[in-house]
Amino acid sequence: MRVPYLHKADIEAAANELLMSYHYKFGMEEAPPVPVEEILESLLGLALEFDDLDALLNKKGVLGATWVNERRVVINEMLDPTEDPSVEGRYRFTLAHELGHWQLHRHLSFGEDGQTILCRSKSKKDPMEWQADCFAGYLLMPKKDVIRSWEEVFGTHDPYDASEELYNMQSRFDEAGEASEEGLVVDLARDLAEVFQVSGLAMQIRLVDMGLLKLR
Amino acid sequence: MPGNPQFGMFIRSMREEKKKRDPAYSLRKFAEAAGISATFMSKVENGEFDPPAPDKIKKMAELLEVNSDELLAMAGKVDPDLSGIIRDQPRAMADFLRTARDLNLGRKEIEALTDKLRAERCLDPSEE
Repeated sequence: MRVPYLHKADIEAAANELLMSYHYKFGMEEAPPVPVEEILESLLGLALEFDDLDALLNKKGVLGATWVNERRVVINEMLDPTEDPSVEGRYRFTLAHELGHWQLHRHLSFGEDGQTILCRSKSKKDPMEWQADCFAGYLLMPKKDVIRSWEEVFGTHDPYDASEELYNMQSRFDEAGEASEEGLVVDLARDLAEVFQVSGLAMQIRLVDMGLLKLR
Repeated sequence: MPGNPQFGMFIRSMREEKKKRDPAYSLRKFAEAAGISATFMSKVENGEFDPPAPDKIKKMAELLEVNSDELLAMAGKVDPDLSGIIRDQPRAMADFLRTARDLNLGRKEIEALTDKLRAERCLDPSEE
């Protein structure tokens, strides 16, 4: 199946539009964290469930899946934040990723079987997965909110050069002989991540993308 | 756990109806308000897990604005306060209930009796 190419700017516009529709319909304060469950369940009216996706799809490492025709999103129960608060960031990113599939990909035709399933797993990185990840980043960390939070922390919109901090962190890790799977996250990204309820790494990627954080 | 699909489907359809207008009825918020995890809630709704304890079901009834005794009955349970009522007056209360059953009193007749007693004792009318 051919996945149409999308510019980052188009994906960002789609994410902002979805967020605006939510606030238009339900009001509520427009401060982070973004109400990602409420967008999925109340605005779009999709069903949300938690289940053992590995068993359900007979596949390992599936974090979330969307059954387009059934208007149903199922999240791996390993990511239930009400059972394990430490997965909150990954849970929210997975939901936002599925929202990305819904907004960007639900109309694409997926063959004849009539049952459309869009998944999110750690390994797969095809164009559709990249687009959904990109959407998730924009939805959970809207530009204007990130800039506002940045100004609250620094009192300026100047970028921060974290290359030295990262270098020191890297050498500490190397000494300890541990390889970090998640990558290294600077303190500032970690602090802002709490405001947006995303993982430190997701926040760091967003800040680098916006040019607010320089790692090298 | 054997699960109770009828109960689960009822809860889900009531909640989905409300969530369209009020985001407080999202799976997570509803589960948290009822005092169970989102995964547990999800599996109760799917009919995979049995309904939770009576106090959680009463909380769900309150949130969904349905009668708690009916919701408990759907879950195959009775309000724990009812067994207390029978324990306090074991012979008389049991006799009272069995007589009502033996006389095949219908819902309307029982409600009429209840209303009559309430009126005589100047109690507030029934909640329904």
